[in-house]
Formats: sequence, C-alpha cells, structure tokens
Amino acid sequence: MKRVINIMLIEDDTLDQIEVKRTLDKRHILYRLQVATNGEEAMRLLRGEAAGVSPDIPDFILLDLNMPKMNGFELLRWIRANARWKDIKVFILTTSEEPEDKAEAQLLGASGFITKPLKLDSSSSMDAFNLMMDLMNM
Amino acid sequence: MKISHIILISFFSILLLFSITTYINYEQSKLIAENNEAFSRSSILLRNSHRFQRNFLYMVGGLRGYLLTDDPFFIQTYDSAILENEKILNELISMVSTGSDQRIVLDDIKLLQRYWLDEFAMPLLDAKKQATVSDDHRRVFDQIYRTKLGSGLEKDVQRSLQKKFSDFTNFEYGFRDSRKELLAASLRHTESVSFYLTVISVVAGTLIALFIAYYISSRIVKMVTMANAIAAGDYRVHVSEQGNSELSQLGRALNDMAGILDMNISLLKKQKDELDQFAHTVSHDIKGPLRGIDNVVTWIEEDHQLDLPPKVNEYLGIIKGRVARAENLIKGILAYARVGKEERVREYVDLRELISEVMEYNIPPRLGIALTTAPDLPRLYTERLPLLQIFTNLIGNAFKHHDKEEGEVKVYSKSRGELYEFFVSDDGPGIDVMYHEKIFEMFQTLKEKDAFESTGVGLTIVKKILHDRKLEVRMFSEPGKGSTFSFTWPKSVL
Repeated sequence: MKRVINIMLIEDDTLDQIEVKRTLDKRHILYRLQVATNGEEAMRLLRGEAAGVSPDIPDFILLDLNMPKMNGFELLRWIRANARWKDIKVFILTTSEEPEDKAEAQLLGASGFITKPLKLDSSSSMDAFNLMMDLMNM
Repeated sequence: MKISHIILISFFSILLLFSITTYINYEQSKLIAENNEAFSRSSILLRNSHRFQRNFLYMVGGLRGYLLTDDPFFIQTYDSAILENEKILNELISMVSTGSDQRIVLDDIKLLQRYWLDEFAMPLLDAKKQATVSDDHRRVFDQIYRTKLGSGLEKDVQRSLQKKFSDFTNFEYGFRDSRKELLAASLRHTESVSFYLTVISVVAGTLIALFIAYYISSRIVKMVTMANAIAAGDYRVHVSEQGNSELSQLGRALNDMAGILDMNISLLKKQKDELDQFAHTVSHDIKGPLRGIDNVVTWIEEDHQLDLPPKVNEYLGIIKGRVARAENLIKGILAYARVGKEERVREYVDLRELISEVMEYNIPPRLGIALTTAPDLPRLYTERLPLLQIFTNLIGNAFKHHDKEEGEVKVYSKSRGELYEFFVSDDGPGIDVMYHEKIFEMFQTLKEKDAFESTGVGLTIVKKILHDRKLEVRMFSEPGKGSTFSFTWPKSVL
C-alpha cells in the first residue's frame, strides 16, 4: 500500500489552491493536504494550534510568496529558524520571474521553485516538480 | 561690470587722452603765434627807433644847411623830420606799456629832442629870421650861432640820444632772447608730453581692445561649447559666470535654460519610466485573473463537458477565445514596454546566421512558403538583440499573413552610405495604401479579432526600436502585389 503523503499548501488564492489539488489528483497518489491562506495560519497549523487537526509535520510545504499578513519570505525565514521544521522541504510557488525573488528565497533555504500556472511540461518548473514527485514516491 | 560700460569708458578715456594732446598742441601754437606777434612788434619798435635817429640827423643837417645857405629846401627837410619824429615817438609810446623801463627811456628821448628844439634849434631859427632886418640883428644871430655851436650842447644831446636808443634796443634784444628761450623750452615740453600721451593712448587702446576681444570671445566660446553640449543632450553643463556683464547675464540665462531643460527632461524621463512601470504592473496584475478565468473554464470543460448543453460548451469556447486575446494584448504591451530597456551590448553579427536563427527558433514554419536570403548579407559589429527582434517580427508577419498555398519571402540588403537598408519582401496579400500608416500603430491588426494569434504590437516594436536609434522603417505595398518592409541600420557602432 502506498503511504499517505502529508502536504501543506500555503496559498491565499482559491483558484491556485484548486489547481494544486487538481494537479495532485491527476498523479493518483494518496495525500493529505493541509491548506493555510496566510503565514500566521500556517504557523498555527505547524504548531498544532488549530482545533481538530493533528500537528503532523508535513512531508513538504508548497509556499506562495505573495500573501497578506505574513508573506512567503517571512514564513520561510521562521520555518528555517525553528529546529522542529527546519528540515522540511519547502517549494516556492510563484508567478514571479524576478531573479531577485528567487535569489532571496534560495538564500532563505527554499528547496525549489514551481512556476504558476502548474504545468508539468513547463521547462522552468520541471526540475522542482520532478524532485517533488520523487519525494512523493519515496 | 557691463561690457557696454567697459567699451564706453575705454573709448572716452582714449578720447580724453587725445583731447589733452590736442589742447596742449593748441596752447603751444597759440604761444608761437603770440611770439610771432611779439617779434613783429619788436621789429617795428627797432625800425622806428632807427628811423627816429635818422630823422634827428635830418633835423640837425636841415637846420645847419638852412642857417648856412638860406635855402628853403633845408628848412623843409627839417620840418618834415620833426613832424615824422613826432609821429614815430607817439607810435613807440603807444606800443610800450606805461611805467615800463622802455617807456621811461622813451620819455627821456622825447625830453631830449624837445630840449634840443627849445634850447638850440628854435633860438637859432628865430635869430636867423631877424638877421635880414638889420645889421644889428645880423650880429645878434652870428653871436648866438657861435655860442650855441661853441658850447658843444648839440653834440651832448646827440650822444645822449644815441645812448638812450642803444639802451632801448638792447632792452628789446634782451626781451627777444628770453622769449626765444622760453619758446624753445615750451616746444620741447609740448613735444614730449604729446609723445607720451600718444604712446599711452595707443598702448591703452590696444590693451583695452585685446582685453575686450579676449573677454568676449572666451565667453562666447564657452557658451558655444555649452550650447553644443545641450544640443548633444547633456543638460547638466554649466558655465561659471560671476560678473555683471551682458555676456555673464547671457551665460547665466543659458545655465537657467539648461537647468530647466534638465529638469523637464528628467521629469519626462521619470514620467515615462512611471508609465512603463504602470503598464508593466497593470499588465502583470491582469494576467492573474485572466489565468484564473481560463483555469475555471478548463476545469468545467474537463469535468463537465458531457453534462452541459452544446450551447454552453460553445459559449465556454468563446470565453476562452476572448481570454486568449486579452492575454495576447498583455503580452504585446509587456513586449513593447521592454523595448529599449535592455543593455546595449555589441558583438559581431553575421546577418545570414541571424536570419537562420530567426527561422529556426522564432517563426512557426508554413508548408509551401519559402525564405530566400541574399548571399551578400553583411557581417556587422553591432547590437544583436534588436536586430533579431526586428527580423523576427518582419519575417514572422510575412509568414503569418501569407494568403497563398505557395509563396516566397526574400531578405536582402543595399548599401546606403553610412547605413545599410535591409529589406523583407513577400508575395503575400499586400496592404492597401490607406492602412500603410495604421499598421505601425499599437494593436492594429487587419485580420478579424478572434481569427488570429497576434499581439498587434510587432510593427510598433519595430518602429520603436528604430526610432529610439533615429533610424527609419519604410514599407511599399499594393493589394495583390505583396509587401516589402525596409529599415536602415548603421554600418558601424551606433
């Protein structure tokens, strides 16, 4: 039996959330998806503060950069600064093609970049997505 | 100090110097004239004093002759000499100022002549007149004659007169000599003053002329340099001007003008950058929602196509078409906003290689449409990216818009002095002359809106790339006869 992959999606845009779910569904894998719409909510989820949700440590995090309250960079910095979560793979979901954004995320310890819209054949997001898939099949 | 003031002051200073020179020379000539007058007066004095002495001798001779011979001719000579001497003496007195030494001498002379007449001539003449009356009278005359002549009085008077005249003329000669010396000294003085003043005027005039010429030309040269810099697009130039002259004012006006130009152009640049940034941001932000709409429509199609009535499926297709068009427009705006933002990198570009690259990577191939590249396309040291963009857009248009099964697109070049003119020519549908201007405007496409994948900015970008570099794009086309686009590009580095 395949193991259930624990994924956390931190994304404020509903359409982008649906898109991620649909993409994952197409892979025919077993997964559990926790969704947070901003950085603070993600922090609560990670700490297990939200009612009725187990404080599982996700296998990987998909992180949007542009969010209200606490943006992707700040959250990434917080995750990497905390011993409990600093080894979680964090993939940056972004529409941004600014090299500065990528450089900053890399500096903060991002594991890879996935360019929105999610397309498996898109050359720029290929490597990151393959890495993600490898993780899911482990 | 104002230049007009400097010029006026210099002019008047030199004029003043020359006026002083002229005045001094005028005074000198007046002095010479006075001197001449004094000389002629002195000549008259001397001549009259000689005449007086000669007349006195006539008087003495006339009196003797008459007394001895009784001839009335002698008494006539005597009388006229007296009359003339009277006149001469009056004239001399009138020429000599009262109280002067010469006047005293003249008064003495007058007294001496009077004395000779009263004491000598008159008694003798009276006695001579009586002598014819009787022998007694004759004897009286003879006795007087002997007494007067024997006394030596006449000789004394004559010697005194001679002495007085000698004094008088000596005085006159002395006066002449002193005048002569004074005149010579004043001439020497005038000459040297005139010489120095003239030299000073000439030197000062030359120096002032040189100074003004240098002052004006150096400033004008500075300002010409500045104006050239402004014309070349450097508005930060500045002429340092502290003075109050008209040229300094002009320099400051130029500085102000350059400052205002700089300010306005900086403002324009800033506004253009803001506008570009705005276009970029807006386009970018609109992309998100558009993608969302497209996603949702795709999901509906993927999940529910079979459940939906055909009309709904048709409408969904229209939505996707419109979204695609909006995305194309945004792509166009972003592409246009990017033009000219790249760094201008120069490298060696082989045009034939560049065209091959365009065909390989940038143009979707069309069966039956062929590209012919002229073998003599040049190799240039120039910017590669804009050339690639121009050829991609022009050749792309020729392929995309070709309306026949088979066709040919030709690329060739001609040398035009400093420039090359590159041509992209097709045998496609051609463009009516009424659209020749319009096709270069943004979002102008001559096809139906949904029928075609076109950003509508291809030619606008070509035009912008070329106009940014002050180059030209032209087109020649007639419906049914194909189109030829051409543009100029420099042979050497821009």
